[in-house]
Amino acid sequence: MFEIVSNWVAAFLTLCIFSFLYKDNPFYRFAEYLFVGVTAGYTIPLTWNMSFIPYVYRPLFLQHKFILLIPAFIGILYIFTFNRKLNWLSRYPIAFGMGMVGMGVPLSMHASVLVQMRGAMIPIESINSLLVFIGTITILLYFYFSKAHTGTYGKVVKIGIWYMMIGFGASFGYTVMARISLLIGRIQFLVSDVLHIIK
Amino acid sequence: MNIFERLQMLDRRWIFLVVAIAIIVPLIIPFNSKTYTTEPTEKLYRLIDSYAPAPDEKAIEKDRALLLVFTHDASTMSELFPMEVAILRHCFARNIKVFTLTFLPSAAPIMDYAINTVKEEFPEVKSGEHYVNFGYKIGALMLPIILGMGEDISEAVDIDAEGRKISSLPIMKNIKNYNEMNLIMDFSGSSAGGAWIVYARSKFGANVGAGVTAVMAADEYPYLQTGQLTGMLAGLKGAAEYEKLVDVFATNPDPAKREFSRELLKDTKYDDAITNPNIKTKFKQARIGMNAQSVAHIMIIVFILIGNIGYFITKYKQKQQG
Repeated sequence: MFEIVSNWVAAFLTLCIFSFLYKDNPFYRFAEYLFVGVTAGYTIPLTWNMSFIPYVYRPLFLQHKFILLIPAFIGILYIFTFNRKLNWLSRYPIAFGMGMVGMGVPLSMHASVLVQMRGAMIPIESINSLLVFIGTITILLYFYFSKAHTGTYGKVVKIGIWYMMIGFGASFGYTVMARISLLIGRIQFLVSDVLHIIK
Repeated sequence: MNIFERLQMLDRRWIFLVVAIAIIVPLIIPFNSKTYTTEPTEKLYRLIDSYAPAPDEKAIEKDRALLLVFTHDASTMSELFPMEVAILRHCFARNIKVFTLTFLPSAAPIMDYAINTVKEEFPEVKSGEHYVNFGYKIGALMLPIILGMGEDISEAVDIDAEGRKISSLPIMKNIKNYNEMNLIMDFSGSSAGGAWIVYARSKFGANVGAGVTAVMAADEYPYLQTGQLTGMLAGLKGAAEYEKLVDVFATNPDPAKREFSRELLKDTKYDDAITNPNIKTKFKQARIGMNAQSVAHIMIIVFILIGNIGYFITKYKQKQQG
């Protein structure tokens, strides 16, 4: 019974959202506001139950791990961001956060830059690697703005523009596919779980 | 005013209607279509399959496992959920040790749902022996957990979703860190999987795979080219490919045909999945969706062509009129 009711509620809200495709209307706005409210309402008890209770309350008050008072105190300093005079205190937890980000810089540099550069420097043994080589060079030249894009240099740069256009086209194609997939998911839900037209 | 000029002024709501019909009809009237598998999907399948115990080996003794990380909420479920179901089905069918984890609170129920969807078909599969759901861990612990698992998974994760000590579970026999839990598969609609490449792969050499929404696929291809991603499932198409591989090999009724082979893949008798009543709908969701996807794509291509022809004709006429 619960499944039937929940499916019909979900179907009604799905149709409310789809109704925007015709034009803006109160049903669409009702579903939109409901979504925002439910998300906020869901997040607060979830954070309390799954973050505060297991990682602060239980270890501190039941297992007496008092060392946790230090990070808990630093975390509480965030609250001073709302106070004009004391908001400088909220910079301390932010500083710790930045420290964590800093730790990832060398590894990010390795994974996102060095290994990717190495990938573009492999011997040209196939059509694919030749295409990657030409694309990398011409696109990098396009982003070199200290020389005017004219003459022979302009023609080389134009190849880079073509590469980028093909890349944007591929991204757009994938985006269409993704959006259609989302629509398929909703319609599958409507015709399968709600209307039981397909088993 | 000719037809092309009229189409230029067509109300967009007619296009929405045509696209909706193009999607609804193939879903209501199912038909078989061939699913071609691509290299990134095959590589992933073969790596996961290599973690299956040998026929004379006890599954519990196997020193290989994979971790599935759910980094998405319900909004991208239609693309990512079929992938998760297909991989879990592969693991359960082949006795492969599998762990699940999420750092996103809204992904925790999706993770349970995926496990239970597949588990219904495998009553012999037990939590703690064949799989463990590590559950939801807060986002702030993501980095310590990723790095910690490189040393000792039991210490880094500590307890599972059912509150059990990880170290006490039978599945952990011969599994200590990334040397054994050698593949991390991240499902996301963003670049969240990058953290596993940066920390788990760069620092510990773990294999990383990605299950991404189609929007993200183009961004992930460079990592695939350099081998930083072992394999990738891109959108609904990737999910459909994996579903097919699981049907052809992992759940093949003939045990001798459960190893990957290109010849078997070419066999056309596996192309009737959509109308085959022996394959449950939940295990061919992506392939059914791909039928609708193909029809919708044809419609969109036709619209783009008509729109462009109309645009050039109008431009040509305006030029002639001076």
